[in-house]
Amino acid sequence: MTDATNLDGAITLITGAGRGIGQGIAEVLSERGAVIAMSDLDADAALVASTAINANGGQSVPFGGDTTSQESMDGLAAAVIEVFGRIDILVCNAGVIGAPGYQDRMEHTEEDWDATFGVNVKGFVHTANAVSPHMRERNSGRVVNISSHGGRKPRGAKAVLGNIQAPYSVSKAAVIQWTHLLAIELGSNNITVNAVCPGVLWTPLWEKIAQNRITADPSLAEFTPREIFEQSVKERMPMGREQTPRDIGKAVAFLASDDASEITGQALNVNGGAVMN
Amino acid sequence: MTTNPATQLEGKVALVTGAARGIGFGIATVLAERGSQVAICDLSDDASAEAAEELASAGHSAMGIATDVTDRDSLDAAVERIIENYGRIDILVANAGVWASTGYEDRPEYNDADWDITHSVNVRGVVHSAEAVIPHMQERGTGRIVNIASHGGRKPRGVATGRTLGFPYIVSKAGVIQWTHGLAIEMAPYNITVNAVCPGELWTNMIQGIYTNRRNVSDALSDGGISDDFRVSMENTVPLGRGQTPRDIGHAVAFLASDDAAEITGQALNVNGGAKMN
Repeated sequence: MTDATNLDGAITLITGAGRGIGQGIAEVLSERGAVIAMSDLDADAALVASTAINANGGQSVPFGGDTTSQESMDGLAAAVIEVFGRIDILVCNAGVIGAPGYQDRMEHTEEDWDATFGVNVKGFVHTANAVSPHMRERNSGRVVNISSHGGRKPRGAKAVLGNIQAPYSVSKAAVIQWTHLLAIELGSNNITVNAVCPGVLWTPLWEKIAQNRITADPSLAEFTPREIFEQSVKERMPMGREQTPRDIGKAVAFLASDDASEITGQALNVNGGAVMN
Repeated sequence: MTTNPATQLEGKVALVTGAARGIGFGIATVLAERGSQVAICDLSDDASAEAAEELASAGHSAMGIATDVTDRDSLDAAVERIIENYGRIDILVANAGVWASTGYEDRPEYNDADWDITHSVNVRGVVHSAEAVIPHMQERGTGRIVNIASHGGRKPRGVATGRTLGFPYIVSKAGVIQWTHGLAIEMAPYNITVNAVCPGELWTNMIQGIYTNRRNVSDALSDGGISDDFRVSMENTVPLGRGQTPRDIGHAVAFLASDDAAEITGQALNVNGGAKMN
């Protein structure tokens, strides 16, 4: 009998593991028995997050790593294999919403397109390129890509958040398509490739959006950004709740487990029903 | 918090329709192994009782109830008995389904009876099952509904074959997916999640009938029998190269019914080795 949550001893590489969703995924997988290689562009953040997991009884090692560089990802994969002997699970999570300063813009720039394509698309490709030969050799492996429900078909009559999220959403749609293609490519090697599409989480972007609304509309002056966010979640999400990094981690844990051995090429929304597929 | 393998669904009560054999029995078995008490609801009284007996002899808690999903009264009576026996229903798995009307084996094309029976069992049966359980779940402010659709209910692709027999089935399964989306929105305020699992191809009685029909109405896929046809088809059409098992479907249902999936609703999840992707 296997359990959806049993990842005992599984060597897991997570990119962007120093904070936010990546950190939540690392926490949940660690609690389910996985051993985590926590990579982040901000090596200090990876160290702090890894220390917290180890203090909680987990087993993890921090790594640097720049997903925009194939060499960096090749080096990361080699280093992880040197330390742990293998990689069972790869979670491609490192992502950006836009170029630096995006929080202060409502309209996208050229730099936003470059940043989102470079990190969210090519970053995932580089990471998979670095790890998949090893998984092919072992004829076993799990790849989980973190996309977004923003990468699904949009709907609505007007862009309430401006178009700053367009490059991000397009890049996340590309992550889903990449997931489909890679699943076919790696299927004959018994490697599954799936995506998780998070819904709405309390992030710095959301805080800024809420702040901008308060600034633009004097009638909202009495509210905090957090209250504006909560109201928006109630209006837009069927379950009426935001998601947390741990919610995303639980879906990743399932897709990485033996229970999901027949699931590949799929994208799973974890978003309280805000977008359905 | 390390989770124990046997306690994913500890103490939950599950109602599974069409649970006496095939996918339904695989789901019931996995849910029972994960700690659920399971009500096996199937059209046949004997088959329901035998399946429940098999789970009980493995040390699980199960009851068999003859249930006709095309008859709302039959479902109401089943729900009443389950609540009497186990005190509540936490999980509904609407699984009972049919491929086509009797005597389809030699037909390449659908007929009116195929449309009627697939609509009646696969669509209305799933609707009835939810209707019978929902008031109870709403009252408790919690619940999990998992509908068994099919990856056939996703968008088709390919070229003409002249074999339209499966159309009523795939249309009905698309209906299950759309019903899942609609019901998820309605049930969300009650903290009830509604999702669908879309199996690929499994070597069950249903698929054996489908491959028998295929061999009868068009060229054989292999030099062997229908099991060889099935294997060849899986190798040619599935990225992972194999068919699924009823337990594979049960694993996905167990996840969607577990606390881990509290933020997942309105989704349809293919368990099909990548044969179709969404």
